[in-house]
Amino acid sequence: MRRSTAAAVGTLTGAALIVGVRLSVTPPAATVAAPPAVDLANSGASPEPTGSKAPAKKKPAEQTAGKTGGAAGSGSGLRDGVYKGKAADYAYGTIQVSIKVDGGKITAADATYPVNGNSGTINPNAIAKLKQETLKVKTAKEIDAVSGATLTSASYKQSLQAALDAAGA
Amino acid sequence: MGTVVSIELADDLPADVLSGLIGDTCAWLHEVDQRFSTYREDSEVNRFQRGEIVLDDLSPDMRHVLDACADLWRFTDGYFDAYATGSLDPSGYVKGWSVEVASARLARAGSTRHYLNAGGDIRMRGLNSDAQPWRIGIRHPWEADKLSWVLTVTDGAVATSGTYERGEHVWNPRTGKPARGLRSVTVVGADLSVADAYATAALAMGEAGIGWLAKLAADGYESAVVTDDGRAFSSTGLPAAV
Repeated sequence: MRRSTAAAVGTLTGAALIVGVRLSVTPPAATVAAPPAVDLANSGASPEPTGSKAPAKKKPAEQTAGKTGGAAGSGSGLRDGVYKGKAADYAYGTIQVSIKVDGGKITAADATYPVNGNSGTINPNAIAKLKQETLKVKTAKEIDAVSGATLTSASYKQSLQAALDAAGA
Repeated sequence: MGTVVSIELADDLPADVLSGLIGDTCAWLHEVDQRFSTYREDSEVNRFQRGEIVLDDLSPDMRHVLDACADLWRFTDGYFDAYATGSLDPSGYVKGWSVEVASARLARAGSTRHYLNAGGDIRMRGLNSDAQPWRIGIRHPWEADKLSWVLTVTDGAVATSGTYERGEHVWNPRTGKPARGLRSVTVVGADLSVADAYATAALAMGEAGIGWLAKLAADGYESAVVTDDGRAFSSTGLPAAV
């Protein structure tokens, strides 16, 4: 039971990334805890379709990399679409933020997280999975004990464990 | 507890010593039953439940069990719940814990090669009487005389929670109904008390338990699962026999 692992990872990730808003559009009220900073000057002005990526579910998901300096110079705000920030390289891999603008407001923010190699250490949930396999049917030979759902006393008598216990006597 | 306990001592010790160890183990398990059985009117757990003892006056073992149940409730997001039935019933933790303690006592008393199987929850140490790691079969969730996995373990615990014996006895606290989705969950790790609780909690979660179990591997707890519709899953580190 190591909760501290996830909390420490969250803090590390948050500390390494920059928080801030430098856009002239009005971000939505409360959906995103810390709206991302996006260097629009370098990202290319036109919106591009977002590739799908692992959704950022952990607590610091909204805090993403980007330059604090850049800002949309024009006062009229951004055109609708998806904007990607400059990809930033960190020790564990590359992080890139994107925002979606709809009706002149930021309606979504996301970040790509590295999910392979040793970057699994900052997103361990990405690699922990049980693998599916065929349900085998094995005969019970040369085993010492059986683990199963708790037997009622009646079903114990016919159980494999009972047979083992009797054989050992 | 109404649970059958199987014990095997594989140590090379004199017969009277081994009998003594078995006797001590049984005495411990009876003490646990006296204290924790919800079926005994005068058990400590029932007296506490009725308000006849206060927290400060509880035995150290009872306080440990209540603390552990509280920790597990938090760790499993409420899926392990000693109050699931509406009144206090810590038996989901007590079963594994009592065997974990029994095994530790045996080790201190000189038995380093043994297993105890309390109704399908097993704690083992050392090697079997053939000087090999203990071979533990996981019962097939449909065919009672077959196995779906065979594990090899020296020191450790194997706990299984399933619906194929007692039916729908595990509750999903979120729906207030019997848990659905998983037919059998086996957890393998160092400590039987938590392995047992984790297996029960995962069963209560239904299919979401599969993802939850995967995260336990980081803490050294491996798992093997069978769903109601016959799909099987296991963690990469499950100590399956070759």
